[in-house]
Amino acid sequence: MDEKLHIDWLTVSLYIIIVLFGAVNIYSANSGVNEAISLDFSKEYGKQVIWIGISAIIVFLILLTDYKFFNFSAYGIYIIIIGMLLALLATGSFNKGAQAWFKIGAFKLQPSEFAKYATALALAKFLGTFDVKFEGRRNQLISFGILLLPMMLTLLQNDTGSALVFTCFILVLFREGLSGWWLVLGFYLITIFVLTIIIPSWYILLALLLILAGFIYFIYKQKQLMMVSILIFIVSAVYIIGLDFAFSKILKPHQQQRILVTLNQDVDEYYANKQKSFSFFKFEKKENDKKSESKRDYSYNVRQSKISIGAGRWWGNGFNNGTQTKAKLVPEQHTDFIFCTVGEEYGFVGSSIFLILYLLFIGRIFYLAERQKNVFSRVFGYCTGSIIFFHFFINIGMAIGVLPVIGIPLPFMSYGGSSLISFSMLLFTFLKLDANRVNEISRLY
Amino acid sequence: MEKSNRLFVFIGALVLIGLIFITRLFFLQIIDTSNYYKAQAYGSNEITIYPARGTIVDRNGQLMVYNDASYDLMVVPQKAKDFDKVALCKELIIDTTEFNKRLKKAARYNPREASVIYKNLPFYLYTRLQEVLYQYPAFYIETKIDRRYNINGAAHLLGYMGEVSERELEKDKYYKPGDVKGITGLEKSYEKYLRGIKGKKVVLVDKFSKQQGSFAGGKFDSLPTAGENIISSIDLNLQIYAEMLLANKIGSIVAIEPATGEVLCIVNNPNYDPNLLVGQQRNRNFSALLLDPSKPLFNRALKAPYPPGSTFKTVQALIGLQEGVLTPGTRYPCHGGYRMGSITVGCHSHASPLDLENSITKSCNAYYCHVYRSILDNPKYSSVQAAYLQWTKYLNSFGIGTKTGIDLPEESSGIVKKSAYFERVFGKNWRSSNVVSISIGQGEIGLTPLQMANVAAIIANRGYYYTPHVVRSIGDAQYVREEFLKRHYTLIEERHFDSVIAGMAKVCKPGGTAGRTGIEGIDICGKTGTAQNPHGKDHSIFIAFAPRVNPKIAICVIVENGGFGADYAAPIANLLIERYMATDKTAPSSKPEMQKRMLTANLTGKKLSASDSLKALVTKTIK
Ligand SMILES: [Zn+2]
Repeated sequence: MDEKLHIDWLTVSLYIIIVLFGAVNIYSANSGVNEAISLDFSKEYGKQVIWIGISAIIVFLILLTDYKFFNFSAYGIYIIIIGMLLALLATGSFNKGAQAWFKIGAFKLQPSEFAKYATALALAKFLGTFDVKFEGRRNQLISFGILLLPMMLTLLQNDTGSALVFTCFILVLFREGLSGWWLVLGFYLITIFVLTIIIPSWYILLALLLILAGFIYFIYKQKQLMMVSILIFIVSAVYIIGLDFAFSKILKPHQQQRILVTLNQDVDEYYANKQKSFSFFKFEKKENDKKSESKRDYSYNVRQSKISIGAGRWWGNGFNNGTQTKAKLVPEQHTDFIFCTVGEEYGFVGSSIFLILYLLFIGRIFYLAERQKNVFSRVFGYCTGSIIFFHFFINIGMAIGVLPVIGIPLPFMSYGGSSLISFSMLLFTFLKLDANRVNEISRLY
Repeated sequence: MEKSNRLFVFIGALVLIGLIFITRLFFLQIIDTSNYYKAQAYGSNEITIYPARGTIVDRNGQLMVYNDASYDLMVVPQKAKDFDKVALCKELIIDTTEFNKRLKKAARYNPREASVIYKNLPFYLYTRLQEVLYQYPAFYIETKIDRRYNINGAAHLLGYMGEVSERELEKDKYYKPGDVKGITGLEKSYEKYLRGIKGKKVVLVDKFSKQQGSFAGGKFDSLPTAGENIISSIDLNLQIYAEMLLANKIGSIVAIEPATGEVLCIVNNPNYDPNLLVGQQRNRNFSALLLDPSKPLFNRALKAPYPPGSTFKTVQALIGLQEGVLTPGTRYPCHGGYRMGSITVGCHSHASPLDLENSITKSCNAYYCHVYRSILDNPKYSSVQAAYLQWTKYLNSFGIGTKTGIDLPEESSGIVKKSAYFERVFGKNWRSSNVVSISIGQGEIGLTPLQMANVAAIIANRGYYYTPHVVRSIGDAQYVREEFLKRHYTLIEERHFDSVIAGMAKVCKPGGTAGRTGIEGIDICGKTGTAQNPHGKDHSIFIAFAPRVNPKIAICVIVENGGFGADYAAPIANLLIERYMATDKTAPSSKPEMQKRMLTANLTGKKLSASDSLKALVTKTIK
């Protein structure tokens, strides 16, 4: 490599800050109460240091790799990862929980983490192919296929959280020309779905009817628009009643409860209210203590998380001094709930600065993605930004109690080797591509 | 829309989400403080470490009050869920309804803070619970220190401990519910010194309420500072001996070291054992004491205004001398008393006329009727009322009619009437003849035993006193309160004391009113008194100091219904003086007959049972 490395140092700096800050918080959440500050490689915070080292090596290797390699081997990597996911499914060697692992010595690798990387490469490669235009119906279907395949395989492993992450590729497709209406439609359907489950469907129908009536009052002269809106209402009504029926009559109680828990609903209270209020479908509530237990765990997580963050007040308790953190009151605090440590130990001021820095980091990635000259780099850049953004949005939203509990890590912060390595690969692959763009430009002079 | 402009949709989404998240954080961390308080309740437990309360030793270093551990079972009601209630009740040997009642009460007080659910665990329960308590994470044992009193009486002096009231909780932030503080006596008046400074330990608690060790390496912990140890001026031997002598009599004894104002002993009978008011039986015992008709809770030494009787003649003589209406050579005749119009004040038979010195020795009533009337009818003053006002000023300078300022709670100032009182009773121009009974310490005059002992100390000092106090010094630094180092001068010049003291010196010698009670080899200067008691037999009173030169002890003894001063008060006072002055404290009394008579006398009117306190007191060892 004879060219100067034109890597975007701003992004690299933010990356280093976030990774180190993550390690500090993992230490806080993971070390014992009165432990002297030290490095114990048998503990998670010690292992995280090893993961950071391995990530550094991988980053270095990526920076040494010729940029053409990624474009060249994109489909190959994708196929290998799909193969690994299939192998995991076929051998059934996934544990009863959500995660599927490959064990390498003492460390575990999680293929689903790398599946995002591979999907990003494959999608970039496909959309970057010289004569492919996203406008074509066929090409759109292929694009969706590329992301749906790993998504389904992950879902089949019961890893709902990771599977949901694949929906973030819709954002990339939006940048590449997917109509904004699809985003609006998706948002509408999800909102109606959530509302149908948490409030009596009768209320939603009434509300929609009122909106329709108001709308028609203004546009009654435009017959065509009126017909469309009435059609939308009818489809919505069918969707709502169908959902209600499916939820009340088709799903088994434990499946219902799983959905309710994901939506932060108190299961017992829910059933009590549902029986009282007007609902299209009555349903027998079968007490299932085991499932109630898991419900309690989820709401417990969120409650503890909020208490822990709330305890920080303006300035926080300071490094290693969070009472909730040190008492290990928030489950999974070093992984999915790492933000609680930030909230408690650094307070509102520290947390806000952290959020702003993180958003700057994501924004910088989108900015870099947009300035790419070739489609492969641009799509890959948007994939990188979207994946990190989606994780950030869900993870923080869950910790502060505005989104349901979906167990996905906060990139570069949460404990975990697979997560750190795959996100580092994703970021630095893109930064390598970006550096090459600058190299191309500098060659012009 | 140009596709490259869609970048701004992404940037806009980032800004929007950033705003939503930061707003949410502001709500969670700043506006909604409930999470903060929940965190304090959940994550860490602040455990109070009680400091050792200061001990109290007597003037010779003998331990009077010390500490002993007791154990309370505490509960954090909010955490008391999902535990085997029946099993725990079985361990505690308590029925579940009672247990539920206590738990509910604790929850009502504060569900997040620990409250006592079982006070004063018996030791066998304490040891057994320690083994099983790990199964009940909401419960823990708090060790508290109970007070022990090395002396079975002296409760009015030492006081006792009791739970702080709700009002005190608000007033003094030092206390938390369930804390104890000194309720009366020394325990109360020296509470601030004795209690020390509480320590605390912030302990991390995990979600199972299991303690995880101290928080932040103990950064927020503090060690308790033990309370100050107090050296009392009390002579424990003398105190115990005085209690024995006063057993089965109603009355009071106060002894003071004249040179310092230090109280040597302060005894009330009936009294009670301060140990009764410690621990679990406290409430039951307290109400029994409160209802006892002999009023054991009443602190006679500090609160009961007795008519001083003839002991008051010493004060009258001194005021007369200072006013110039009396000289040591003044003689007044007495033929069985003092008569003036309808008024008669009787007197016993003695030689007549007497001079001042002998009027004290013989305790002539008539003499003091003359003295008092000459004070009040002094032409120096425009009226009897003006003279009376001046007379009360003299009394106040003796600490009569005012509080002495002793370092014990609930002192009363006794009775000295204002002129206005007599104006209401006898009319605007009341005359000295109206109040003539005050001449001999009867009628509208009342002194507490403490005030009378202080009068004895004043005469011993020839004109001044130090505020009587029961604490000699505080803490290891032996700090002495400044107000106890200040001399209070009376309005009487030193020279006037000679003849009064000369008269008192003969009281306990043959020919004196307490002639048979004297102690060989000790120059006791005393004055008997017999206070008329409209409800029964007269009260026997005696004030004294000894020796005449360089006095070491001033004393007042009052025995209710004891008859003449010489009958009980003087013998008891003299026995105490003898014991106090003796170099060998174990030496037998030179008057064994008198000692036995005093120890065994029963003036309560009740038959003594074998278990009565006399036996208990007599068998008490005197070191
Ligand atoms: Zn006479």
